[in-house]
Amino acid sequence: MTSLEIEPNTILVRYNVEKEKSMSPAEAAEELYPKDELIRPIAEAIFEGEEDDVVDGLQKAIDAGKDPIALIDDALMVGMGVVSKLYDEGVIFLPNVMMSADAMLEGIEFCKSKSSTAPVAKGKVVCHVAEGDVHDIGKSIVVALLRANGFDVVDLGRDVPVDEVVEAVKAEKPMMLTGTALMTTTMFAFKAVNDRLLEAGIKIPFQCGGGAVNQDFVSQYELGVYGEEAADAPKMAQAILEGKDLDALKKQFHTH
Amino acid sequence: MAINRYTKMAYASADDMIFGNATAPVKAGLGLEIGGGYTVPEVNYAPRPEAGATKEKLVEEYERITRDIMARMVQIGAPAVVLETEHVQQMTNNPTWGGEVAAAQKAIMEDYHDEYGIKCALRHTPGDIREDRDYLQLRGDKYDVLMESFEEVASNGADLLSIETMGGKEVSDYAILRNDIAGMLFAIGYLGTTDMDMIWQDITKIAKKNNVISAGDTDCSEANTAMFIAGGLLDKNLAHTLAIIARAISAARSLAAYEAGAVGPGKDCGYENTIVKSIAGVPIAQEGKTSTCAHSDVMGNLVMQCCDLWSNESVEYHGEFGGTTVQCWSESLAYDCALMNVALETGNAKVLRDMMVLSDKYRDPQGYILAYDNAYKVGEAIVKDANDIYLRAKNAAVECVNLLTNADPKLQMTRFEKNALKDAKEALDGLTDDTDQFVSDCLETYKAEVKVFRPENYDL
Ligand code: B12
Repeated sequence: MTSLEIEPNTILVRYNVEKEKSMSPAEAAEELYPKDELIRPIAEAIFEGEEDDVVDGLQKAIDAGKDPIALIDDALMVGMGVVSKLYDEGVIFLPNVMMSADAMLEGIEFCKSKSSTAPVAKGKVVCHVAEGDVHDIGKSIVVALLRANGFDVVDLGRDVPVDEVVEAVKAEKPMMLTGTALMTTTMFAFKAVNDRLLEAGIKIPFQCGGGAVNQDFVSQYELGVYGEEAADAPKMAQAILEGKDLDALKKQFHTH
Repeated sequence: MAINRYTKMAYASADDMIFGNATAPVKAGLGLEIGGGYTVPEVNYAPRPEAGATKEKLVEEYERITRDIMARMVQIGAPAVVLETEHVQQMTNNPTWGGEVAAAQKAIMEDYHDEYGIKCALRHTPGDIREDRDYLQLRGDKYDVLMESFEEVASNGADLLSIETMGGKEVSDYAILRNDIAGMLFAIGYLGTTDMDMIWQDITKIAKKNNVISAGDTDCSEANTAMFIAGGLLDKNLAHTLAIIARAISAARSLAAYEAGAVGPGKDCGYENTIVKSIAGVPIAQEGKTSTCAHSDVMGNLVMQCCDLWSNESVEYHGEFGGTTVQCWSESLAYDCALMNVALETGNAKVLRDMMVLSDKYRDPQGYILAYDNAYKVGEAIVKDANDIYLRAKNAAVECVNLLTNADPKLQMTRFEKNALKDAKEALDGLTDDTDQFVSDCLETYKAEVKVFRPENYDL
């Protein structure tokens, strides 16, 4: 090494260090947990991503007389709500959300196994990666965040032929469809999906995102709404629940 | 062909490492010596989507690209250039397409070489097509097609053979999104290296038979995935401390190509290449500020530190105000190389190297570890257990964590980054040193947790 040295602050700014929230994730979560002593440990276990503790907590609550299906909304979703809120605020990062989502799904399965009635989800979303494209990590994140926010997701996987997307929408009747494409060569499949859906008289919001996709491209087809980051997917699903139509969604999400 | 693990460092000290120089330079193509005392631009490009429709269109597109680059290089007086053609899927799936493209490109390069004496070489990088829709299919029919593709390009004019292999990716995708250090080690260090051992012996055979160069690989599919998910300073998808642990592990994986007979230059997007060079002494391609056309990173100058080829990763072919994209980017690369070559010529190379390093060493934990002095230490950790592909990968991770834990205070980290680091350290401390035990534990875990994981891909 030569004797060169620098004072880094003169040539770069670590904005992430400067902007970091003063509160630690555990402290922030502490403030948000529900008070009920049967529910709280479940919410905590969701936050920690501890599947076994989730199931233990649920069992205890059920033993104490709580209804398993009601626990999905009253405990699992509440815990996940803490996770989503802190992720949105930049206090926790994605892997925490993924682990919490895994734990929540396990919890939901457990609750279902303890009951004869089926839970009602907030709404159904179909997700896919464009035909010819195998880049599926962004899609997996979208799926996890949607599930974490209480939506029922039908995950068609990657490299999904246009026909299959259209068939799935017909069969599942979702409130919205998402598409991910990372290649300029594959994103054109979204237009084909759009046209086929319109032909069939289906007018659901089709949120499209992924590395190659941009707002200009998505604006070229009627059902398309651009999704810049994965967290926009649950936001849009929520907006649909609140009654926003395609134009209103475009207004909200087309920020460029 | 056998696997020869590296048990020693190629350089006596980190300070000996410099751009444009490798301890084992490689002669290739038309008059070129890579790592032989000067740096060379390596231009990368992608055809426009429409051009992929037929073989004829594709060949024509690559002819245009090649002519554009060669013309610009002689217009600005660049002494040397490497072209890299990363296959679009149909070129690898139809091996003769790749072969025809290579032949067409090489004919143009030969014309320029004959007329102007410009030194040049052509790298072809078939796509790793070894998967079907849901699963990796690393062995079997697709493997044979892939090898046929290498044979076709090697026998038709490609001078350097490369690939970006995907071994271990199915487990790595899962592990990276869950801060799972054991999974990252198993995926990248164990599964990835196992696949590399196999494929690089076969690529090397093909290279030898055709008298061309078995060049090298990159852990794009895993370490770059981690780097992209980690993103910029403000992204909150993955701690940058974890992304660099994945990167440190990936050096043990990329090294395997050279242990199976490859000789370099390693592939441009292998940000782990400085570590690899410290061990193997092979020339390397790198990319950074000149690959902003393809992606963003947080160490755009630093990665130039020890490069032999300097690349732009990939740019779609189309017009810009200054010419076509390949002309604009090749020109930028060539001027960067001219600057490095002046530094070499005038005895200022180490000063320039260290200036580039200091530009980014404290920008982010990733640059901190990849700075050649620290990269060298990760290299030493790898060779310590050279013959055990799990232990050496684990050593790399441990060394990376130690270097960050005791980092120069000039490297500021967020609490989040530090916590992720602490958790990683705990996870590493809890891991066995018994390789068989580790592998059998991981097999059980990931067979259960990763639906798409098929051990038979790795002969397990
Ligand atoms: C990792 C990677 C791979 C991995 C993929 C692993 C996997 N399981 O996904 C592997 C190694 C398999 C791979 C293969 C290939 N790749 Co690749 N790859 C990448 C890389 C480096 C990172 C992509 C990534 O994972 N990013 C991180 C994720 C999280 O980002 P994301 O998907 O964009 O998602 C974020 C947002 O966009 C959003 N989002 C995504 N979808 C949606 C949807 C909705 C509704 C919403 C709201 C939001 C949203 O959420 C996420 C987070 O916020 C990029 C480089 C780049 N610049 O992008 C190249 C890149 C995409 N690949 C490229 C290429 C060329 C290929 C190959 C063809 C290479 C080859 N020759 O074989 C093959 C493709 C095979 C195929 N048929 O698909 C090119 C594409 C160029 C083009 N034509 O456009 C790129 C751009 C690299 C380059 N610069 O040349 N690749």
